[in-house]
Amino acid sequence: MSDEIQVQETDVKASGDRDTVVLKKTAPEYTKYKRAKKLTHHVSASNVIFNIFLVLFMVIFVVITIYPVINTIALSFNDGGDAVRGGIYLLPRKFAMKNYETVLAIENFPVGAKISVLRTVIGTLSSLAVNALLAFVVSRKRFLFKTSLSFFWVLTMYVNGGLIPIFVLYKNLGFTDSFWVYIVPGMISAWNMLVLRTYMNGLPDSLEESAQLDGAGYWTIFVKIISPLCKPVYATIALFVAVGQWNSWFDAMLYNKTSAIYTTLQYELMKLLSSVMQQSGSADSAKNNAASATVTPITVRAAATVVTMLPIICLYPFLQRYFVTGLTIGGVKE
Amino acid sequence: MSNQKKNDNGSQNTNSVETKVADTKKGGKNATGSTFVVTASGSTLEYAAPVKRDKKFTWKEVKRQKSLIFISALVFIYGCIFYYWPLTGWGMAFVDYKPTAGILGSKWIGLEKFEFLFTNPLNKFWPTMRNTFCMGLLNLVTTTVMAVLFAILLNEIKSNIIKKPIQTISYLPHFLSWIIVTGILHDSLSSTGIVNDLLMKMGAIDSPINAFAEPNYFWGIVAFANCWKETGWNAIIYLAAITSIDPCLYEAASIDGAGRLQKIRYITLPGIRPTFMILLLINVGNVLNAGFEVQYLLGNGLVKSVSQTIDIFVLDWGISQNDFSLGSAAGIFKSVISIVLIFIANTIAKKTGDERLF
Amino acid sequence: MDFGSKIGTVAIMLRKFEEVNMKKRLLAMFLVLAMGASVLAGCSKTEEKPADSSATTTQAPADETKPADETKPADDAKPADDAKPADDATPVDTTPVDAPDGIDTEEVTEFTFYITMPGSEINSDNDIAEMIAEKWGVKVKETWLTGQTASEATGTMIASGKYTDFIDSDEMNMLVEANALIALDDYIDQYPEFRDTWFTKAEWDKFRQPDGHIYWINPFGNNYGTPRPTTHNDEAFWMQVRVLEWAGYPQIQTLDDYFSVIDSYLEANPTMADGTPNIGYTILCEDWRYFCIENAGQFLAGYPNDGSVIVEKDTMTIADYNTSEDTKLYLQKLNEEYKKGTVDPESFTQTYDEYIAKLTTGRVLGMCDQWWDFAYTVEPQYKIQTCGDVTLEEYGCNYVPFGLTTHAGDVNRWHTYGDTVNQASGIAITKDCQDPDKAFWFIVQCAMDSELHDLRFWGVKGVDYEVDADGMYYRTDEMRLNVADTTYKAAHLCDYSYFPQWSGTHWDGKNAMSPSEQASEFMSGMAEPLKKCFEAYGVGSYPEMIGSVVEENGPWFPMYSYSNNFTTATPGGMAWKLMGDVKHEWLPKVVMAADFEAGYAEYMDVYNTCNPQDFIAEMQAILDTYK
Repeated sequence: MSDEIQVQETDVKASGDRDTVVLKKTAPEYTKYKRAKKLTHHVSASNVIFNIFLVLFMVIFVVITIYPVINTIALSFNDGGDAVRGGIYLLPRKFAMKNYETVLAIENFPVGAKISVLRTVIGTLSSLAVNALLAFVVSRKRFLFKTSLSFFWVLTMYVNGGLIPIFVLYKNLGFTDSFWVYIVPGMISAWNMLVLRTYMNGLPDSLEESAQLDGAGYWTIFVKIISPLCKPVYATIALFVAVGQWNSWFDAMLYNKTSAIYTTLQYELMKLLSSVMQQSGSADSAKNNAASATVTPITVRAAATVVTMLPIICLYPFLQRYFVTGLTIGGVKE
Repeated sequence: MSNQKKNDNGSQNTNSVETKVADTKKGGKNATGSTFVVTASGSTLEYAAPVKRDKKFTWKEVKRQKSLIFISALVFIYGCIFYYWPLTGWGMAFVDYKPTAGILGSKWIGLEKFEFLFTNPLNKFWPTMRNTFCMGLLNLVTTTVMAVLFAILLNEIKSNIIKKPIQTISYLPHFLSWIIVTGILHDSLSSTGIVNDLLMKMGAIDSPINAFAEPNYFWGIVAFANCWKETGWNAIIYLAAITSIDPCLYEAASIDGAGRLQKIRYITLPGIRPTFMILLLINVGNVLNAGFEVQYLLGNGLVKSVSQTIDIFVLDWGISQNDFSLGSAAGIFKSVISIVLIFIANTIAKKTGDERLF
Repeated sequence: MDFGSKIGTVAIMLRKFEEVNMKKRLLAMFLVLAMGASVLAGCSKTEEKPADSSATTTQAPADETKPADETKPADDAKPADDAKPADDATPVDTTPVDAPDGIDTEEVTEFTFYITMPGSEINSDNDIAEMIAEKWGVKVKETWLTGQTASEATGTMIASGKYTDFIDSDEMNMLVEANALIALDDYIDQYPEFRDTWFTKAEWDKFRQPDGHIYWINPFGNNYGTPRPTTHNDEAFWMQVRVLEWAGYPQIQTLDDYFSVIDSYLEANPTMADGTPNIGYTILCEDWRYFCIENAGQFLAGYPNDGSVIVEKDTMTIADYNTSEDTKLYLQKLNEEYKKGTVDPESFTQTYDEYIAKLTTGRVLGMCDQWWDFAYTVEPQYKIQTCGDVTLEEYGCNYVPFGLTTHAGDVNRWHTYGDTVNQASGIAITKDCQDPDKAFWFIVQCAMDSELHDLRFWGVKGVDYEVDADGMYYRTDEMRLNVADTTYKAAHLCDYSYFPQWSGTHWDGKNAMSPSEQASEFMSGMAEPLKKCFEAYGVGSYPEMIGSVVEENGPWFPMYSYSNNFTTATPGGMAWKLMGDVKHEWLPKVVMAADFEAGYAEYMDVYNTCNPQDFIAEMQAILDTYK
């Protein structure tokens, strides 16, 4: 798929376990390791037991993990009224597209999707930039306020003023009925900052020192030296932020519920679900759901979940290579 | 096209990697199994070191760091506005809050809400605390262990063709809502569900167990549900931590005849230790956030004595009773406990020389 | 762990609150339906509203200006992609109606309306909303509660100090305190016809706040003309008709009768024809739906659904049914049946979804529940799902209600007749309203203009309903399918469901106010076994089946409209909350107890620690205001 990985596979996989950091090694060294390794591998009886355990664990794990996902997909393609009966496991029993039709027929679907994409893109980029900058600052070993600033941010993870004061604050700042409520308030997150900070902590100080000797300022060090090395951790944080942005709906409900132009996809889906829950208990729908394909909360929820999951599933392979080559907290040694 | 990018990436990494390699070789030269431990936990030195460096508060230093200080000031102001200013809402805990009157206009009641929390036996606050704490702890331990275990085992799979799909599958349940996951769990554990079926067929039990009627099982079920949903997602970060361990260590270990278990024990585990520690520290502070939805959805009258968490308590006694003040008081209490916990944990981490929060 | 986890947690918490609050919502919503379910006219209220008293000053002109040729065909206003072509439809007259001075119906005013209940949003270009806008000059943008509690949503709104034009909240008192609402007294007096038709004086007075003003109008639970028989929408002990058929349609008056039939059927037929095991009796105990186990005691003793307490009419005193002998006997019976294995062992742990799934398979012979809680989801499936070669409906899985009492032959009051006025909430106009005169005028129109009412509840003539030669409204199968479709509803139907609306008989004296009450709509396609059952008992409808005594409830009815609003701020509210917690935990335990007497005694001990007398005292104080 990518030649980096191929290189690693030929080199590294042979040598053992990893498809990881590109190493400048010469082939003979690897052959040597490989041979040594093969020897040890084949003599070990515990290795066989380990392999059996590994296979068993993975099989069970995959079965248990994939089941709810398959079940959700099956439900999403099943007739709503029929699904109420239960007993749908891996395949739809009474196939229907109605759930997806209902989801896609949401009036504000296009607007919601647009805003969701926008907030995900803008929110992720801005949050990443700001968190990285902050992490850079607090990871400078000589920085005077290193501890105090870290402490200041760590605390934010554990204190919360409550819904009403936050609402009033945002309103006074003009964030209600505004797109920026999705971007600005959550921009800095201590969790992301800590992950980035620890990664940067792990980078060698000598980089900064030698750059400073060359007359580089902090800005240059951040942009030209540290950031390129942090690409993998940036990718991971980007994933976390993007998933968070993509999935969140509560802020849209709270601050933009009367501005249809700033609605998000998730909020629209929540409203649909809530509406279907209302309607499925009414005489009107009861009269008729015998005859036609109908939707019920169970199946609409499933379809909404699949619609939500799809973009992430599509995005993931592009990011996955970064996780398997990159993210760490403090793993890189000086 | 992507080649270009990757090469860039590779060469930029080279710097650090070469340093790493050099570094490791220092430790690895007189390598035996036991020195790996030293190498890996050598991070001790690394984190202890900066403290000793010159970090004196002088005007010269301030001037030198002016750009850092400028950024800090900006984010400090940001933090004050968006995280600390809303804490004025804590004032709600000390007044009989009426949205109409605002905090300043509402009647001062001092510590009445706290007294209600701590001293009223009818509201069952302390059993709720116990439930929350125990479930939080159990969840923390099980989800962390599962994530680490999964990451390590996945890493032992050599074929990318197998490994990548497994990883992809593993994180998918993260995107399912609790109502879906608990629904399936309820189904599987019901008296005609698959679990009882299997147990009966295996002869382990004679009659179906009604797992949700039994308070003793509840915490375990919640922990399982958490593992089920989040293991793959939580493992992403550990997987990545593992992949950043220097392969030379493994190779050197192989030469010395270390088996796979030994390599896990002496290389992989120490390698993910900083990651593990920082997440542990963060999550120790979150122990009282044991959850709301999962307990709410799985609970019923019979197990309420063990299923109620603080968040449910706040809903029950605060929000549904129009009592905004009580929710605020419980929030303050939780924050205080969290901060105490992270202080303790951080101090311990400092002593052991591990990665720490501040 | 991920970004925004803090917000996420809050979101998760709040999402569930909504469902907690559903209780109030459902009560409100189903009260409407319940009201339409009465068989017999006979309450004084109905007589005050003869069917022909409908003409109002504003309505008459609207009827006159109906020539079809001046009007715009309905489909012009529709988006082209809309599913229903309206070519064959009767064009809807959209000429603006006349209105009192100062109210401009030519200009469309867009009002906002926040309802702190979950609900269905309609599209911004909804067909019927557009028609209403053209004709009445009013368009309403409804915003519903999603993922928050009513009190939180209201509290946030008050804290921010900005209100929508209309509001309907479960927390009206908070809004009054905040001076957010406009007093409606003067407006009401401007429309005497509305004032006199909509509520009686006593009913209006229920809405007066301590300052003497009326701030909101409850839009539900009002019958116009004769109430319409459809179903027994309330609580009952239900039993499948196949059981009754097998047992030869016996008289069932007490719990003993009821369970002996189920027991013997279960013994003779442990499984259905296809091998699915039958379940004798199941109990839903999930969360607020635990009324299925909780309040049977009040009905068994012959009292109506006051919900939280019993009202002794003669002495005007409040009694607690939780500790009554009737309730004890009822629990004892359940305990006995539980031990026999008739009661589903999963009763106390099943979720609502599981309960519905169970019912849908047709395995459950009986249960105690409210009709609206199961029937709308379950019964239609009986037409499709099969057992062997026959559908479940043909197999006899439909349920019929029994109005059991502790002692055979006692009168029962399971069925609620007459109006139920919930004085705790309703539609209100806020101080931020852009045009209060027009806003109130529209509220009046909703109640008084038959054309508007038909548009809201029946839809567009020729599109959503047809009128036969006798003037009876009916829907074709296709129309029924449409109106059940979520997408069609959002694009086409607009019932402005939190504006005043009628149950009962239409102004024309023939039809029902809404399709759900139209007998032809409700009874169409009744299954054979159900018909046979009705014939065997000599009844024509569900309400006749349950045979409750026809009686007007006191003006305090239902008392739960008060206790629902209790909070822990008062001793009574505190007791009420604790009682609920204790019952949630102990009712299942008592039913499952190996030694019933010991279990019950223990339950009573715990129950008494809640100080139920505080609750009773506060309820008594409320009842005393009606003396």
